[in-house]
Order: sequence, then structure tokens, then C-alpha cells
Amino acid sequence: MNKVKNKKAIRRLAFRELKADRRMNIVVVLSIMLTCIMFTALTTIGGGMMNGMQQETMRQVGGNRMAGIKLVLPEDYEKVKHDAATKDLVYRIIIGNAVNTELKNVKAEFNCAGDDDAAKASFCYPSVGRLPESINETALSTVVLDELQLPHEIGTPVHISLDIDGVVTEHDLTLCGYWEGDKVAMAQICWISRAFADKYAPTPSESFYTREHRTYAGYWQVDFNYFNSWNITGKTEALLSRLYGDNTSEFPDTGINWAFSASDVEPGSIVGAIVILLVIFAAGYLIIYNIFHINISSNIRNYGLLKTIGTTAKQIRHMVRVRAAVYSAFGIPFGIVIGVLLSRLMMSSIVSILNIRSAESYSVSAELLMTMCLISAAFTFATVMISCRKPCKIAGSVSPIEALRYNETDINIKKDRKKTNKVNPFSIALGNMSRSRKKTVVVVLSLTLSLVLVNTLFTVLKGIDKDKYIRDSIVGDAMIRHTDNTNLIGDRINGVTTEAIADLQQIEGAETHPIYFTYGGVCPEGEQLEQLKKLYEKYGGDEVLAAHLEGAVSGSYTAAIYGIDADTTAYFEPIEGSIDTEKLKSGKYAIVHTYLWNSDGDSDVEIYHAGDTIKVECGDKMREYEVMAVSIIPYPLSTKVYSILETNVIVSAEEYLSLTDKPAATCAMINTSDESGRVKEQLKAYCDRQGSPLVYTDKQTYLDEFNDLLVMVKLVGGTLSGILALIGILNFINAVVTGILSRRRELAMMNAVGMTGGQLKKMLMWEGVHYAVLTAVCSAAVGALLSRTAVRGATGDMFFFSYHFTLLPILICVPVLLMLSAVIPSVSYKAICHDSIVERLREN
Amino acid sequence: MEVLKTEELTKIYGKEQNKVTALDNANLVVNQGEFAAIVGTSGSGKSTLLHMLGGLDRPTSGKVFVDGKDIFSLKDEALTIFRRRKIGFVFQSFNLVPTLNVYENIVFPIQLDGNNVDEKFVSEVIGILGLSDMQSRLPNQLSGGQQQRVAIARALAAKPAIILADEPTGNLDSKTSQDVLSLLKVTGQKFGQTIVMITHNEAIAQMADRIIRIEDGHIVKGGEPNE
Repeated sequence: MNKVKNKKAIRRLAFRELKADRRMNIVVVLSIMLTCIMFTALTTIGGGMMNGMQQETMRQVGGNRMAGIKLVLPEDYEKVKHDAATKDLVYRIIIGNAVNTELKNVKAEFNCAGDDDAAKASFCYPSVGRLPESINETALSTVVLDELQLPHEIGTPVHISLDIDGVVTEHDLTLCGYWEGDKVAMAQICWISRAFADKYAPTPSESFYTREHRTYAGYWQVDFNYFNSWNITGKTEALLSRLYGDNTSEFPDTGINWAFSASDVEPGSIVGAIVILLVIFAAGYLIIYNIFHINISSNIRNYGLLKTIGTTAKQIRHMVRVRAAVYSAFGIPFGIVIGVLLSRLMMSSIVSILNIRSAESYSVSAELLMTMCLISAAFTFATVMISCRKPCKIAGSVSPIEALRYNETDINIKKDRKKTNKVNPFSIALGNMSRSRKKTVVVVLSLTLSLVLVNTLFTVLKGIDKDKYIRDSIVGDAMIRHTDNTNLIGDRINGVTTEAIADLQQIEGAETHPIYFTYGGVCPEGEQLEQLKKLYEKYGGDEVLAAHLEGAVSGSYTAAIYGIDADTTAYFEPIEGSIDTEKLKSGKYAIVHTYLWNSDGDSDVEIYHAGDTIKVECGDKMREYEVMAVSIIPYPLSTKVYSILETNVIVSAEEYLSLTDKPAATCAMINTSDESGRVKEQLKAYCDRQGSPLVYTDKQTYLDEFNDLLVMVKLVGGTLSGILALIGILNFINAVVTGILSRRRELAMMNAVGMTGGQLKKMLMWEGVHYAVLTAVCSAAVGALLSRTAVRGATGDMFFFSYHFTLLPILICVPVLLMLSAVIPSVSYKAICHDSIVERLREN
Repeated sequence: MEVLKTEELTKIYGKEQNKVTALDNANLVVNQGEFAAIVGTSGSGKSTLLHMLGGLDRPTSGKVFVDGKDIFSLKDEALTIFRRRKIGFVFQSFNLVPTLNVYENIVFPIQLDGNNVDEKFVSEVIGILGLSDMQSRLPNQLSGGQQQRVAIARALAAKPAIILADEPTGNLDSKTSQDVLSLLKVTGQKFGQTIVMITHNEAIAQMADRIIRIEDGHIVKGGEPNE
């Protein structure tokens, strides 16, 4: 076929057509804008949140490099440096930890930074002053300075007791730099100079990993980035193989920054993310497809006419595409601007409400914003183009005669209706709904999608349970325990001594409940012994397990004996039996639970059940208890140390005290009704006494920490839900308005043959009500299904989540839809009534 | 007996330079049972006149009386109700409701009025127009001629005082046109209906009892019954 220069003519025609239908244009542009706002807001808020979360995690981890190798030598640094896969290398030299008594609440790690970048990479670059250069200089965070009760001033003398591989040395240093410390960081990094490092912790010549006596001081920690954050674990393994060959025993320990762990996502999460993206894309697609379909349908006579005068199908399709492109050209930029403004507004309100210190980490950089806008624009444009494919096809394939008779009726509906059908606004509305089933399905589906998304988000938000969240952190209003969690068991369980307990009990308004602890032995007999024997057979192949089970089978294994008072039992959740505090007090009963750390992953192996008798030895005493309940001890009350095989035997405090001569508590739980903060102050003061190894924590600290997270999640989730609900409702308005605008002629014709304005409005209203009701039914069904299956499944593993079934958002939206279905038709109909019936009848 | 009358009917579209006088002081009288054809060239004002007669458009000045009632003294809502009771329309493009079947389309104006359908009368109309076998079909399953017959049946079903037909054969081939027009005339005579039809086809106009000629918005011939 000869190529003819007809593009100009087609384009002119497309533009003229556009000009002819202003009202419809506005509706279509609005729908594209809506979709674009949705994409932009979601990507920028999502991006901002992810960025912020990542930065927060990096702060917590204390580093912004993707991976690192630990305890290595300078030659290892050189090797990594010359590897093509790595970049941004930094190193620091490990020296030791400060053991000043004032620093018992923070972990202060002394290091020597390789250069400024190394300090910056760990968020510990002095904002005032500089890194140490001479041997007696140090740079510290304000957190450390505050703990040491030193002023934030350069030149301040600092006395540090430094534990270098178990040897404590005293140092008088001078402050040469400091920075705003980060309380959430797991450890406070403190800098000393290279000269100091060379003198007190010279770098060994032998590899840490091949040494017999392992000491840490002087080894290097090397951190670096890869060119992208995809599969960091895999990349690190590959790097080690390249650097050290097959000799895995020489592989240094590695660290993967879990701020980047999103890149190491599990397949399940990827599928989840893809599903969510598809749902969002589908929502956008449905909005635009629906509008385009209506738009094309209302122009179909025109296309038929064009065909009669020789326009080819291809040219008509081209016209529709030009039209779509023009609509996009208007809708997308506005959508992006509004979307960005909306997300900016939201992020800034989140940051200000939460008083987030690192607010800048939640803001999106200009380049990132640009990228996100481009992605949103591309996404919207792709949606528009994909959405208009079908309408393009319809427009292109329509025959001139069909076009004249086209009225959106799905062909092949051949119903022999009874001729006595009553015709009224309701029945006509119903007829209109089934006339174009596809359109009805699309509109209802798009509305349903939005509502279901809102409902799902709401269910997740509502399920966040703060009591559950803190349950693993604290029990009671406050807790007092030994300072060092990594200290020897003996020290720790003696942390809260009987003297300390007596002192605490003196504090007025504080109910102190000590959790006594000691180790003892369980002497299994009969059934229990048989069960242990079976376990021995089962796990005999595992060297470590076998060793422990062997002891048990031969008559004794570890008993972790706890002594608690009646109030503490309230925090126990029995798996079997029930807890009777009176019975427990009698000294004849015990609550038990057995752990066996096996390779199957199931660590709770109940050897003893309610009603069994358990024989326990403690020192030279042997006692028998009846098991009243099987229950796991709440984690915060436990020693947090587990043997391979052990049975927790929980008896009353009195019984415990009669068992051992050297009673001690692993911690003390404190309840108080005091709201003035006096008790808190007293408890805190007691723990902060000079030389006290006790640490005070209270419920509020955890709640505050959680509240920040909760408020943020609720704000983001709430706003996203709001946006989605709004989009759903706007889409509904759009669908109803377009449905009316595109049928101007048809409505005029009905008017001409005698249907009054009131009847027409009623009919349109019924159509809206049908949409609303169908949407409500579909949303409730799909929402309930999704909630019961996907939401419940996905949140099942979240320890701070309690699933509650709800359809509240849908129930709230339905009256809004119903109200809109009553209002919009009247308003829209009024708008089209500006033109007389004759004018409307003359329209194509 | 006069069933339709206009007095100094004028319709002006646009303003100032764009002002177009589509109808200029048109006076017209149509008697009960008459079949009148309004003829004129394209743009002569015949459609405008018909629309005014049916109350579809309001005149700039002048009056229209149907059955002695000044229809433009009515408000929109009342005018619509008056129209569906007193005036039947047959359009060039049929204008059937796509979701209603043939029977439902025919009785649509009656049911809109909340009245019971005179089944006997409607069956007779359907029979005469040859639509008996296709009562449950939807409009898009009918040919153009069939659709126009449905439109005629609809116009007749409510027993209006007057039927206004706007180029009823404009979308039909000549054979079908003849058939449809014959049916229109026959049914009109049978049920004593007054029919005013506009056409630009002289041959078709010849089938009418009276020809009203309109040029540039003026009725130049046939404005009175015995003219």
C-alpha cells in the first residue's frame, strides 16, 4: 500500500473531536489525574517511608555500608579494595570497651577510625571538633558524655577505664570532638587516635581465625558497599570465595547490614508486593478503562460516520490513541504535582507529629523524587495506553451501520421477556445496568478494589496490639535486673540480691515481686523416663543433643527452678491445667515447662503434664511436686538463658526460699499505682546509686518507643486508606457522571417521548443505588474473604498483631456511596438540562 | 375542529451577528383527523416548527395550542406530562429505548403515566403494524423499517391528540418508506389520529391530505385547512 501523508489530517480530526466534547474531556482528564495521584502518592510516600525506615535501621545498626568483614588484617582490606565488586571501603580498628561504672547503661566501644569516611559511615562523625589525632585525644557521642556527666565542650578531660581483651587500663584523655549521639544505636562508638591504637592495641600479624587464643584488639573491621543492594548475602559469599578460595575455615566473619535486608527478601514477600502492585495497577486500570470505554461508546456514531467517509480502522485507532495521549498530557502533570504535594504534606505532618529527629531521612531526595515521578508518569501512561486498547479496538472495528445503532448493549442478550413487564424508573435502571454488563462489572470491580484495599489496610492497622508488642519486653509496670546481659549466669541470677529486694520493698507505693532463680535437677521416672528414652533414640545421631539426653536417661537433667509470688502468676498463660495460687503456696505444686532445642525447630517438648509428679533436686534437697499446670514463663521474667534440655520448675517464693540457702532473683517485677512519677524516681535513683549493677526499665519506655512506630504506621496507613477511599468515591462519581453525560441524547429521547425530568432523575438515581449496592455486596464478600485468608495469614507471624475481623470501613463507605448516588444524578442531570431537548437530540 | 393551532410563532437562534430567525411569525391550524405534511428545503425551519408544535423547544415568541391548551404556559415537568398524553412522536432516528423490548417500548409512555394499558387497542395497533411476532425483541435486533414501525406504534398507543412525525422515512429505503408511510396513514385514518409530518420529499408529501410549505421560516402555503 502506498504511504500517504495523512497523519496531519488524522491528528487535526482527533484534536477537533477533542474540542467538541469539553465536559467529557474534563471527566477523562480527571480520571487520569486520579490514577496519577494515586500512583505518585503511593510511590513517593512508600519511597519516603522505605528510605526513612532504612535510615533508621542504619542508625540502629550503626553503619550505612551494605556489608562488612570482621576481625581482619590490613592485607584483607587491600584484597577487598582491589575486588571489582566492592566500593566505598572504610575500616576501623577494634580497641576495646569502656568499663567505667558510669557507663553501665550504655555500651561504649572504642575504635580507631581509618579516616573521616569511616566515622561518617557509622554516623559518628564529630559535628563539633574533629577525630582524634594525638595519642591522648578522644571523640565521643553526647550520649556517652551525658552518662559520664561531662560537659559538651572541646578540651574536656575524659577518664576512661578501657577493657582491652580482658585487661583494664586507665586513660586520661581530652575531648577533641563530639556529635549528637543516637540512643537507639546498639552501641556507642567512641574514637581514639591511630597512635593510641598502635600503642595499646597493635594490629596482630596472625589471622584472628587461625589463632589459638582469640583476642580482638587491633583487628580491623572493614565495611563496604556493592554496586547495588540486590542479594547482598550471595554477593558476600561470592566475594569470600574469590578472596580466600575454597578454604572456608579462613573465611572471616561477615556482617550484612539488615537495613538492606529488604533486598534479601523472601519469595513470599516478593509475591505479596507484586500482588499489592498489581491490585493498585488494576485499580488505576479499571478507573481509566471504564472512562475510556464510556467515552468511546458515546463517540461511536462519529467513528461510524468517519468510516463511511473513508477513514480506516487503523486511522480511527490512531485517533483514539492521539486522544488518549492528549488526555495524558493534561492529566499526568497535574496528577504528579498534586500527588507530590499530597505526599509532601503527609510526610511533613508525620515527621512533625512524631517529632522525628532524623526528619531528613524521611524526605525523598530530588533525584529520587524525580525518579518516582517519572515512574508514576510512565505507570499512568502505560495504564492509559493499555486501558484504551479495547476501546480502540471497538472504535476501529465498528461498521458504519452498527455505529448508528450502537447503544452499548451487550450483543447476544436475547431474552424473551414477558410482555407484561412494568416499566418504571427502577426497571429501566435495572435494564440499563444489565444492558452493558461489562461496564457494570468494571465499575463495580474498580469500586470494590478500592474499598477492599481500604478494609484490608484498616484490618492490619486495627490489629496492631501494643500489649502484645511489649509483652516480650516487659511484664508489670517496671522491672529491675542486672546491668550486663552478657555476664556470666551466676552473676546475673545473683544480680538482684535479697538485700536489694529488701531495699526495694521498702519503697513506698512499689509492689516488688522478685523472680527467684536457681539451677537444680529433674529426676525423671516412669513415663517421663520412657519418653526421654524415646527422644534419645530419635536424636541420638546429634552429638550435642545425645550428650544431654544421655544424662537425662541416666537419671537427671537441668531444672531451672523459679520462685514466684501469687501476683506474678497472673502473667502466666497455662497451656495445660490451671494455676491455683493457694495450691502453689502450699509448696506441693509446681508449674512446669520443658525445652529441648532440637534440629526440628520445635523446642517445646512437654515431658511433664498436668497431674504428673515431678521429682526435683536442689543442692542436697529432694522434693516432689504435683504438676498443676504447664506454662511457659513470660520471656522478660526468664533468665533468657536456655540449656539444650531443661525443665522450668516454677514454685512459690516460699517454697523456693526453703529450697536454697543462697536465694537470689534473676529480676524483680514492680507494679505501682503511683502516677506522680515519685516511685519511678525512687526506683531509678536506687538503681543509679554509685556501684549498683542494677538497671531500671519501665513499661512507659517501651510504650513510648512503640507509640512512635504505631503513630507513624497509623498515619501512613490511615492516609493511604483515605487516599484509596477517596479515589474509590471519586471513581464512583466519575462513573455515574460519565454514564449520564454519555447518554445525553438517549435521555433527551426518553424525555421527548414523555419521561419527565423527575422520572429520569429517579432512574439515574436507581442506577447509582444499584452500583452502590452491588459494590457493597462485592466489597463485603471479597473483603471478608481476603481478611479471613490473606490478612490473617500474612499477619499471623507478627508477634504484635491480634487479628480482629472487621468490615467497618466498607460499612462507613456504603452510606456515602448511597448518598452520592442520590445527589450526583440530580446535579449531573441538571447540568445537561442547560441544553434543550432538541439540541440534545441533534447530538451524535 | 381545530386540534392544533399556532399564533405568530417565532424562533430566533443566536444573538446579534449570529442571529438566525428559524421561524418567523408562523400561523398554522390543523383540524382533527387531518394528515398534514410540512415540506421545505433544508434549513427552511420545518424541524424547528415541528419541535415547537411538540413542545420539545420553546419559541422566542408566539403560542402553540394543542386541544385548546397553550402548551408553553406549562412548566417543563407539566409540559412533558402533557406531551406524553397528547402528542405522539415519530423520529427519523426511531429513538427507541435500547433496554426495552418492542412491547415495552410501545407501552412506555402509557406506563410512565401510571395508566393501565388498553391491551385490546395496543394489540390491534401491533397487529396492523405487523409487529405481532417480534414483541419480545430488543430494538437492536430489528431492521430500520421494523424499528420505525415500533416508533409509530408507540406514538399511537397512548391515543394522543396528535402525532408529529419528523422525517419518519429519512433513514429508510424507498420501498420501506412507502410501506411505513402507508401504515402511518392507514392507522391514522383507522384511529382518527391527526398527523403532522415533515419531509423534504415531495413524493412522500403527496400522500398527505394537505401540504404546508415553509420557506426561510415563513409558512408560504397551506397554513389554513382550506387554503
